[in-house]
Amino acid sequence: MRLRRLTYSLCSVLILVAVAQAISAQALDISSGGLPTITGSVNGSVTGNAAVTGDLVVTIDFGEVSPLNPNSIVKVVVPIALRSNQPYQVAVSFSGLTNANAEALQATDVGLGIQNMRLLGGAGQICNQSTHIIRSPFNNDPAVTATVGSNGRVLYPSSLGNLSGSTVVLSGPELSKNNSIKRQQSDGYVFDVILAVTPQFFAAGISSATLIFSIAPGPNVPC
Amino acid sequence: MPRLILKLLLLTMISAVTCLGQSTTGTVTMSATVSKFVEINSGGAVTLTGNSGGGVTTDGVINTPLAVSINLGELGPVNINNFVTAQVPLKLRSNAPYVLSMSATVTSSGTSASRIVASDVGFGLGTVSRTGLGVNAGADTNATSGDPTLPANGSVNGTTGRYEFTAVRSNLSAFSSATTALSGPIIMNAVPRSNANGLTVPAFFAIKPQFFENGTTTISVTFTVTAP
Repeated sequence: MRLRRLTYSLCSVLILVAVAQAISAQALDISSGGLPTITGSVNGSVTGNAAVTGDLVVTIDFGEVSPLNPNSIVKVVVPIALRSNQPYQVAVSFSGLTNANAEALQATDVGLGIQNMRLLGGAGQICNQSTHIIRSPFNNDPAVTATVGSNGRVLYPSSLGNLSGSTVVLSGPELSKNNSIKRQQSDGYVFDVILAVTPQFFAAGISSATLIFSIAPGPNVPC
Repeated sequence: MPRLILKLLLLTMISAVTCLGQSTTGTVTMSATVSKFVEINSGGAVTLTGNSGGGVTTDGVINTPLAVSINLGELGPVNINNFVTAQVPLKLRSNAPYVLSMSATVTSSGTSASRIVASDVGFGLGTVSRTGLGVNAGADTNATSGDPTLPANGSVNGTTGRYEFTAVRSNLSAFSSATTALSGPIIMNAVPRSNANGLTVPAFFAIKPQFFENGTTTISVTFTVTAP
């Protein structure tokens, strides 16, 4: 009898956990927003998931960013799709680029901007009482806004150097009309992450970094 | 009862699997390569002095590939000047330690020992300048003896009477094959290629007019910069 009660209790807890997970996943989702693109590179490449229902797994090789690259800038655009049935926020955390030599590629040498928040399709929720807010200073295209600093090095209004811990870059009201537990082609929004590197006389070497984008419940704003 | 438990467990598994369709995180991994880069360009117009006839046939244009052609003019006693000197400005840029080497060939229509030969052509690099925004401060090593016309760098041979450039790497005979003329640390800080600054250094070529054998002489010099 006791064993039976214990079994019932255990199963109940498992079901509750599973249901809770399902509800959570259904409420907030981040995925690929389509194929990323790269321009201005020499021996560079970018790979990602073409389907907006695919996971966000992008690999960028900026290629050569010494003066051997005659282009003015290497620009990568990564579309990212979001879905939620509640207010949300998107945060980015960053690791890598730990070059000790100040003349080597640094976090501040990789421009990072967010642009073009747009409906994924008809099942995206249009809210009239709140807007989607790109947090400062990331609302720019670093390939356009780059300037030369007083020391001759290129500066960006926002770069990987602006990321500290998990940094919120975007927030807003709910994104999806439906409560589907599966990703659909049109049930959310998509925005572009723009990364840019200007070829310069950096100290020679190979650099790497990883960005992790995450979506979580955001400030409670009305739709 | 076991069937009920089985059903509940199955439902739990289905719920868990359903969750895999969505995610709250995504990953972007990045890499970039910075290769060693060096370049040599013209540092500006050539200065030709002490010449009798001749002139600069193809002048240097600053920040463009170095391709200079000079007619040194008359090098026999008809030329009463002390030296015929050509000063060719060079501009170097790099994101790595560099070595500037030079090789030279001298060919003359003359056939005797009195024809112009490589050792009759003085050579040296002048003062190295690292100035301007984005240029890295650093100490360069000049492997030549500088301006070959300096009194310390040459004199008349007491036995033969021929003027000789005697200092270390002060004439083209020292550069019959690629030989280091200048070396140093990184020239440029992390600035774009559009930044036109760099390391500048004048290359001096000098010949003392003498009773050389009649004829014409062609001197060809190639500068090469590398990042070893």
